[in-house]
Amino acid sequence: MEQYYDLTPLLNLIHTWLCGWMPEWLALTLEGIVVGVFILIMYAVLAIILIYMERKVCAAFQCRIGPNRVGGKGGLLQVPADVIKILTKEIITLKNADRFLYNLAPFLVILASILTFSCLPWNKGGEILHMNIGIFFVLAASSIGVLGILLAGWSSNSKYTLIGAVRSGAMIISYELSIGICVLTMVVLSGTMDIQAIVANQADGWNLFKGHIIAIAAFIIYLIAGNAEANRGPFDLAEAEQELTAGYHTEYSGMHFGFFYLAEYLNLFITAGIATTLFLGGWMPLHISGLDGFNQVMDFIPGVVWFVGKTFAVVFLLMWIRWTFPRLRIDQVLTLEWKYLMPVSLVVLLLMTVCKVFGLVF
Amino acid sequence: MIMSTLKEYLEGYAGGIKSLLVGMRTSMKVFCQKKVTEQYPENRHTTLHIAERHRAMLVMPHDEENHHHCIACGLCQMNCPNGTIRLTTEMQEDGEGKKKKVLVKYEYNLGSCMFCEVCVNVCPQHAIRFSNEFENAVFEKEKLLLTLNHEGSSLAK
Amino acid sequence: MELIEKIKKTAPDATVSENGEPVVSVSAQELHQVAEALYADSEHPMDYLRDIVGMDWGETGLGALYLLESTRTGHRIILKTVTADREQAFLPTVSDLWKTALIKEREVFDFFGIRFLNHPDMRRIFLREDWKGYPLRKDYDMNSNPLNMENEVNADITDEYFLKPDGTIADKKNIVFDQKDFVVNIGPQHPSTHGVLRMRTSLDGENICKVDPILGYIHRGIEKLNESLTYPQTLALTDRLDYLSAHQNRHALCMCIEKAAGIEISERAQYIRTIMDELQRIDSHLLFYSCLVMDMGGLTPFFYGFREREMILDIFEETTGGRLIQNYNMIGGVQADIHPTFCTKVKEFIAHLRSVIKDYHDIFTGNVIARTRLQGVGILSREDAISLGCTGGTGRASGWANDVRKHHPYALYDKVDFKEITYTEGDSFARYMVRMDEIMESCHIIEQLIDNIPAGEYKVKTKPILKLPEGVFTSSVETSRGEFDVVLESHGDKTPYRLHYRSTGMPLVHAMDTVCRGQKIADLIAIGGTLDFVIPDIDR
Repeated sequence: MEQYYDLTPLLNLIHTWLCGWMPEWLALTLEGIVVGVFILIMYAVLAIILIYMERKVCAAFQCRIGPNRVGGKGGLLQVPADVIKILTKEIITLKNADRFLYNLAPFLVILASILTFSCLPWNKGGEILHMNIGIFFVLAASSIGVLGILLAGWSSNSKYTLIGAVRSGAMIISYELSIGICVLTMVVLSGTMDIQAIVANQADGWNLFKGHIIAIAAFIIYLIAGNAEANRGPFDLAEAEQELTAGYHTEYSGMHFGFFYLAEYLNLFITAGIATTLFLGGWMPLHISGLDGFNQVMDFIPGVVWFVGKTFAVVFLLMWIRWTFPRLRIDQVLTLEWKYLMPVSLVVLLLMTVCKVFGLVF
Repeated sequence: MIMSTLKEYLEGYAGGIKSLLVGMRTSMKVFCQKKVTEQYPENRHTTLHIAERHRAMLVMPHDEENHHHCIACGLCQMNCPNGTIRLTTEMQEDGEGKKKKVLVKYEYNLGSCMFCEVCVNVCPQHAIRFSNEFENAVFEKEKLLLTLNHEGSSLAK
Repeated sequence: MELIEKIKKTAPDATVSENGEPVVSVSAQELHQVAEALYADSEHPMDYLRDIVGMDWGETGLGALYLLESTRTGHRIILKTVTADREQAFLPTVSDLWKTALIKEREVFDFFGIRFLNHPDMRRIFLREDWKGYPLRKDYDMNSNPLNMENEVNADITDEYFLKPDGTIADKKNIVFDQKDFVVNIGPQHPSTHGVLRMRTSLDGENICKVDPILGYIHRGIEKLNESLTYPQTLALTDRLDYLSAHQNRHALCMCIEKAAGIEISERAQYIRTIMDELQRIDSHLLFYSCLVMDMGGLTPFFYGFREREMILDIFEETTGGRLIQNYNMIGGVQADIHPTFCTKVKEFIAHLRSVIKDYHDIFTGNVIARTRLQGVGILSREDAISLGCTGGTGRASGWANDVRKHHPYALYDKVDFKEITYTEGDSFARYMVRMDEIMESCHIIEQLIDNIPAGEYKVKTKPILKLPEGVFTSSVETSRGEFDVVLESHGDKTPYRLHYRSTGMPLVHAMDTVCRGQKIADLIAIGGTLDFVIPDIDR
């Protein structure tokens, strides 16, 4: 049944058809443009959905209703209205800022986010950037973002932004380690760095279950570190509102600020998406061995629904965490990483390797 | 020594995670509870309750025959710490030839009132009181200058 | 009074006033000696300087009242000193004995132009540095400072005045912030200064080197205004000092005026006042919880506090007609009788609060992040707390039992049973726990009173025009965040000659520098949250 939803034949068909009446380079360029526009649209739409979700979820945690006026009772048009507002706002130029870096920074942040976003496996054959070291590329691309944050903080020529940026730099570089090790754990388990292959490997069971408690530990560490990577509470000290007003993007306005804002939400989605890919079987449906009828029904649901559904479940979990805990202090964030998460993730990696070598995994 | 440090480390680990889970349980409990938000303009005629004693603006009650109780003594004006109240009075002769001060205009500046209730407390006739009509927002400052006595009103007998 | 005998030993010319409360006058030359003797007294060491009240006695000269208390025995004494020279007014500093004088003397300098010898930092505190004249002097020209739209430049250099051996007075410059310091402006518009407070903070990386609070952004000159208001009119302004202690502030002023005028208020009014004070304390502490949690980045528990506080505000509004500014206490009683539903509502509320308070502790108190952020952070020692005059929950968290309700009971506090919550750690967590425990203690007090409110008048009749006898009168209450004192000097008119309020928050803001040094910026916010100050109360 899965083959049913496989996008590869369809895409191949389109490609052959295009090549039939234009040179291949033109066809590839055309396809590239279409896919690029598609990514950007998806990106914007997902951001709107995520912002709306965050506002509603956060409101529910806080005994409130959330947006409920613009666009009917649910406030569905609130976020689009905000997007239009932010598009029409003036982008201010600062007097003593480093003009070039100041303008470059938001693009770096959004670039990193879009690059990573393109690697997510939406469906069988539904991956935009496909390469045999996909997960490695994700790690590499996502760390461009911190450069943008550091540049934003530095070039704004403000003390608040500088402190925010340095905090963010110290934190993200530390947490990259844990993320890397957790990802490596899963690479060890799957035996490949190809994202599609990692997902395909989970056809007989999600990695979370395949790797026993070790995988669960890796999953939790990944979520904590991923949360920190996305600069979200309780690790939002780069933009700690109560201390630094808005951290590294204090001096930005209009769509430049909008880019930071978009990237923040998409990074949340990407963190959750990678977690889904690595641990929760990506677009693989849920199978429970022994219940064949149930499994068949599950197979009818398209892979993209599975992927988006699982990702949003993880997003909700991350929102739940964000709206429950107070913020950590910079030294505590680093202590948590270097004294607790790092050692544990190393142990997890070691155990996983041992298990894999001795064939102790499912 | 190392064992006890390790034990401490692990206990700290476990205790920390437990406290986080307790926190998440609590927030999920509230997530599922009924929300406390009141929808203001919609609830104006349903659940909105403004306390009877709420002080929103000064009013001068008039009866059906357009009579008020203000004898224009000026105590409220004298006692107002902000100079919010201004009385215009004139001397009128009643039927028996006695001169009496009567109220012409009772001006009240809602914009500078701080609702201290001193005016109401000093009024010997209970001619003024605070009402709980709270929707007093206007776009121009001048509209906050109110005249409390109605057109053509006079002192109750 | 044996203390007065002791003062007379040091200063033979000391006199005691006959009107109002006893005030011991000492000459400016002997002031420091007397202060030292009182500070080191063996029986009643006067180690707590409650307040310094600047005064302008016209012809007699400028001067100040020093309100002292012994934390060991609770004895109180008021010293008075005058300097006749209005142009070059100098008094000796007492900041070497009590650190709180460092900021209180700056206030006196700002308002009266009295310079304190050997005080290291004689800058203005509330007013602009280029302000002309000293506004609380009786001969101040009201038109001398037209609205100034220029930016205020803060000097990094300050003056210290000292006496040269030949008897002349010289001026020395002290540096507040060096050129090399990395100074970050926290405030006046900042999410977590709880109002328009500005703290110039010099940093070394994330660590704090020095905090210099700059006050006065919401200074309204309430003390000056009071001098032209009749006594009933002055009441309206007390609610606007510390708006989270509106009832208690007004209670203090009413008590002071009633004491001076000899008005006995009814038992019923006493009950109502006490209950209202405690409800106000719960209200304030719930807001404290909310704001502290929000300052630390936890936005969800913030709403829990507001949810319950809303119920108190509804109860207040039903009876007093106000939510924040209530105008309830009056000279001779209260404005109106309690609403018929008041008692049931209050009992319902307490039952509800007891049922939800566990959520508060589950989501924040026990949380490992909250604990590591608060425990051991911003330690204020008991000695510092007393010397800096940090009353209220802040002092009690440092082990200083300073609850006015216990040590100088007023209203019904000597009739109810309650514990004075003290902790010994003195860190942010202790300050937080003191307030959380006090919520429950206040519930306990209210429960004892709510069913026993006696019948009777809620207000006794007072004269339409109230004139107080001559003299100095004081009263003190425990507000939500510390000891609030009213110092009233009457010259027999229907307006006060001078009406001064002890700001509960000013010593707390002053303590920021001591407490924050060496901590992180994030701690500054947490410490500010646990010290729990309200800016309008500081700036007045």
